Amino acid sequence: MERARPHEGSLAARIGVGLRAPHMAEVLASRPAIGWLEVHAENYMANGPAFEALLELRRDYPLGLHGVGLSLGSAEGLDRAHLRSLKELVERSEPWLVSEHLAWSRVGGAYLNDLLPLPLDEETLAVVVRNVELAQETLSRRILVENPSGYLRFRHSTIPEPEFLATLARRTGCGLLCDVNNFYVSAANCAEDAAEYLAGLPADSVGEIHLAGHSRGRYGERELLIDDHGARVSEKVWALYKNALERFGMAPTLIEWDKNLPPFELLLAEARRAEREAAAALALDADAR
Amino acid sequence: MRAALLEGEEASLLPLIEDDAPGAAARLAVHRNNLFASLTTVLAEVFPAVRRLVDERFFAYAAHAFLSRHPPKEACLAGYGEDFADFLAAFPPCRDHVYLADVARLEWLMHRASHAPLSAALAPQSLSAIPSEATPRLCLRLMPSLGLIQSAWPIDRIWRANRPGTESEEAIDLDAGGARLEVRRRESEVVMRSLTPSDFAFRSSLAAGETLSAATERALASDASFDLAAALAELFREGAVAALALAPAAAPS
Repeated sequence: MERARPHEGSLAARIGVGLRAPHMAEVLASRPAIGWLEVHAENYMANGPAFEALLELRRDYPLGLHGVGLSLGSAEGLDRAHLRSLKELVERSEPWLVSEHLAWSRVGGAYLNDLLPLPLDEETLAVVVRNVELAQETLSRRILVENPSGYLRFRHSTIPEPEFLATLARRTGCGLLCDVNNFYVSAANCAEDAAEYLAGLPADSVGEIHLAGHSRGRYGERELLIDDHGARVSEKVWALYKNALERFGMAPTLIEWDKNLPPFELLLAEARRAEREAAAALALDADAR
Repeated sequence: MRAALLEGEEASLLPLIEDDAPGAAARLAVHRNNLFASLTTVLAEVFPAVRRLVDERFFAYAAHAFLSRHPPKEACLAGYGEDFADFLAAFPPCRDHVYLADVARLEWLMHRASHAPLSAALAPQSLSAIPSEATPRLCLRLMPSLGLIQSAWPIDRIWRANRPGTESEEAIDLDAGGARLEVRRRESEVVMRSLTPSDFAFRSSLAAGETLSAATERALASDASFDLAAALAELFREGAVAALALAPAAAPS
């Protein structure tokens, strides 16, 4: 089966969806028209049927491996066993993109299944630089580092997040994964301006864009946005996506959906929307020149 | 932060967090909720029948207690939950659910089987390569997905009545006798079946790495009419043998 590679050809070829286990059988059977697929690396580290299915799909789609458990912010360094598993998975599945998060999740032998926040200061920067360098050296490739959704800020943080990511990219040569929804959620939760936030990223480092839905939680008088990947992309986030495309160009774009997983068809509809938004944003960009 | 998230000891952490509304504690709580909700979902997917037996709210309560004491050790969560059955067995609020831990053990074997690789099955002709003097030391390695469980309770019937999507109102007589079960992956599905006491003894012994002759003795002890040739043929016919191995020769005494 011939399929367009995302680095060549149409806009549609650069737009993908996150593949989750409940959709696997359907995607294997129907091979829907979508530019590329991304999976969570940790779900394919056991050499069982999930991995066999992934290799099967890999023949027809470019693949993104999105790690959620490497814990790039761990001061104790990366877990070597986990890094080895990731290396093996990368070697066997030959992904197009490999990404992780600016976050931590591991401490003292326990894996806390969440992307936990870091104090953004020089000390943390040194830790993350070291960890990203080791990851890139081990995997023999560039990785993309994603901005996590933020719910709190540490008092001793001294570096704004976009600047932190920009410096990380400069020092390590890593790329950035710009999660537009996360920027929106973080900005809303921590009283910042999302557009300004986005404008702080170095355009030539952005190698991928994520889009997802969020929900709202009430805490007394105040509302926090929760990045649960459990709904359609919100209109505000679509608007910010246009913004991102104008700044970063047509970076590979991914629709993520984890909680309340809908029929796969709805993910494809969101991907088509991304394609329309991208076409409009990039045409606008051309006019402006 | 680990103690703050898992055990709620946040006194030393909160002063480090900006306290703007809704406050540092509420902000930290988002992460705690993410952590507990996501891992409770992981456990609920591995143990659907246990969850149904105790109901959703009690399951969340037991999962919370388990998670805070036994957080995952690795980011690949396919192996998470192995200790949950032992935890339930010792969890005082579950004392009256005498069969619960065994149902959890069964669900763990099913989960494990569903993630196991399919090794190539060995043909019975491979036995002919074993020199006769080595036969007493011969061990049979079974398929990685194969799991065996024995319970004093009819956990197969309990599981069938409580697996997801069933509406069974069948009353299960807990005194109807126990179960000796084998679970394994066949292509994309996991199958469970009952074994006779002698087959169960035979296969459990092999699975534990004992020699074929030790396994045969155990099967004969369970049932004097155990037929080794038939049991061996059956193992190979089912494609359950993954490899042959020789136990180390006994040291001369």
